[in-house]
Amino acid sequence: MATQTLTTPKQKQTVEDKIQQLRQLYADAPEFAKTALENTLKDLASTAAQPRSRMESAGRTGVRQGTVSELTVIAPFAPGGAARLRALLQLRNGNFDDTDRVGTVHDMRFVFLDNDTKLLFATAYDGDWDIYIEDFVAKIPNEMDVLFSCFEGWPGIHNAKVKDFIANHQIPAEGWYVAHPDLTVRDVHRVKRVGKAAEEFLDKIG
Amino acid sequence: MATQTLSRPQQDQTVDQKIQELRQLYADSPVGKTALENSIPALREKLAKGLRSNESAGRVGLRQGKVSELTLIFKFVPGGAKRLRALLQVMGANFGTEKVATVHDQRFVFLDNDTKLLFATAYDGDSWDTYLDEFATKIPDELDMLFSELEEFPGFRDPSVKDWIAKYQIPAENWYVAHPDLTVRDIRRLKRIGKAAEEFLDKIG
Repeated sequence: MATQTLTTPKQKQTVEDKIQQLRQLYADAPEFAKTALENTLKDLASTAAQPRSRMESAGRTGVRQGTVSELTVIAPFAPGGAARLRALLQLRNGNFDDTDRVGTVHDMRFVFLDNDTKLLFATAYDGDWDIYIEDFVAKIPNEMDVLFSCFEGWPGIHNAKVKDFIANHQIPAEGWYVAHPDLTVRDVHRVKRVGKAAEEFLDKIG
Repeated sequence: MATQTLSRPQQDQTVDQKIQELRQLYADSPVGKTALENSIPALREKLAKGLRSNESAGRVGLRQGKVSELTLIFKFVPGGAKRLRALLQVMGANFGTEKVATVHDQRFVFLDNDTKLLFATAYDGDSWDTYLDEFATKIPDELDMLFSELEEFPGFRDPSVKDWIAKYQIPAENWYVAHPDLTVRDIRRLKRIGKAAEEFLDKIG
């Protein structure tokens, strides 16, 4: 998705054009959807003009809002891969302090699809696609191989083709929303520290 | 996933057993096998700390601390993908979502040649039901517009809407959150404190 560089009058026009297109597309939608569209069009116009809701490219693939990007991968399991990954994840039970160490991951989920034949991996991370992947390769290569060797054709984290593998199986989102697009994971650590310090300070003078 | 109530020695034993099972499972994965062996010491350490866990988010899905996951895959109705794409291009993925203020993030991903929609979100709260109730109360029109592109959608004011969502939700096998102790509102509050602290320091500085 290209960065928007339109001037405001042009933007407004584009928004109006797009709303017009939307009305046409909704002409054959169910009645309640048409009503819902009309009910929200006012909000829609103001939302569309707001810079915060704009999506930009996260780099090689995927989209970004502010400092936070999305990565969504769906790929087939290797034979036995689902059983291996499930056992590993059950053992971990949400323990990912290795991911804490990388320090750029807001959240991530592993979802098994189509009778354990495919894995959906979806994450919210900070910054640019290439830097994000390189960070993982540098900091927790073993953990990456243990997790993602469950994929059919995983080349191994130290293989030069690993980025192509990920990019080839990534499906960029059509829509991406983040509540706090101005904060990286590390920023949140910082505001937590500041908050704690401020509370302590207030306690002392209180 | 049940809350763990095992004693320490019992836990250690379980970990040993599970690691043994893992070794067996990884025996036929060339890349995975070596990586597993290399990561077992760190894995043990991690589990000994036991800082985080995955718990139930209520009816469906997982929760870590205050943040839960919801992952849905629906089929589009004819023309649905086209309309939703146009809608997302106009307004981004912010469907009055800020009004609800319990959503950390959400994504819309079109699958299988625009025949299916993947919707995945991270939200606040330990109750799936409360989360959906809040949406249905605050932004029903936006939700109707959005979900009417999907098969069998009953409308957000219909009492069967929760069953419809539960039917298409696929619970994650694992869920990680960097800051499980913070809701969207908590972060907002911390940002305000940070700003106030800066202003204060500027004034006395």
